[in-house]
Amino acid sequence: MTRRLKATAQLLALGLVAGLLALLVWQLGHQAHAPSVGAVAPAFTLNRLDRPGKVSLAAYRGKPVVLNFWASWCEPCKSEAPVLQRDWTSYRNRGVVFLGVDYHDLASDARKFVTAHALTFTMLKDGSGKVTGAYGISQVPETYVLNRQGRVVAHLAGPITDPGFSDKFRSAIAKAVA
Amino acid sequence: MILRFLAVMAAALALAGPAAACAHPRTSLSYLQGQVMCPTCHTTLDMSDSQAAQQIDVFISKKIDACWSARRIKSALVANYGQEILAAPSHKGFDLLAWWLPVAGVLGGALVLAFGVWRWSRRSEPEEPAEPAGPGLDEETERRLDDLLARFD
Repeated sequence: MTRRLKATAQLLALGLVAGLLALLVWQLGHQAHAPSVGAVAPAFTLNRLDRPGKVSLAAYRGKPVVLNFWASWCEPCKSEAPVLQRDWTSYRNRGVVFLGVDYHDLASDARKFVTAHALTFTMLKDGSGKVTGAYGISQVPETYVLNRQGRVVAHLAGPITDPGFSDKFRSAIAKAVA
Repeated sequence: MILRFLAVMAAALALAGPAAACAHPRTSLSYLQGQVMCPTCHTTLDMSDSQAAQQIDVFISKKIDACWSARRIKSALVANYGQEILAAPSHKGFDLLAWWLPVAGVLGGALVLAFGVWRWSRRSEPEEPAEPAGPGLDEETERRLDDLLARFD
């Protein structure tokens, strides 16, 4: 009896340890990584920030997409915003879509930011951070340029106003449009 | 005349509005800072000085000034950021597991401990004196021993 009880307890303890190990492995396997260049960008559907309604990335398949992650509390985003707006107005005639994804932000503050910077491209809200997580975003601003097939052409982990990123951004758009 | 009165009232309200902080706040910033997570750094607000945390601090302060309760402020934050913004899981659905599993773990541990102590105490109780080892005396020796002892009676 005692021996059976002891064996059962040992089995239970082993099972518990194996379960915890499995959980750890699962967690490590499901950690979000930034999609690499050439990979298909993670699909998403998000609520619009500026008005009711949802937007899916899949709806823009066939068009080059600039995906900019920002937040109203982010200082570099303030200097980047006018440049993005200017680029949006110059590239939209060539079929390029600009999507802004608001990251871990209060919607009210984000709307004030959009109004203050007179941003007219589509703004989406990712309050929970699930989409930004799927894109491996750990800081803002970050920008992805996607081609017509929805594949990543460039990932700029910093403001596009940075000297190193400015040319890279424009050449990525040219590549995505081609 | 009425229009003038309404204009004066509107101006008075406009002037009084910003100064009218809640006389009896229903919660405090320090309390909520321990209940709400910073979404970018994954610590509670009181452990973070990131810009995202500061933005939420300002939001909470404004709502406290508007006499909002802690529950209402937390609901507004959940509506904006999702359930992850709260440091503690909710008391419903799957999240209940997070509350009850530790209790079940402690109870289970206590049971295992109690069982172990019970077994250990039983093992350490004095045992019955053991029977003398080896075979008993044969009849002849026993008879001689009885005779010998009888002499001392």
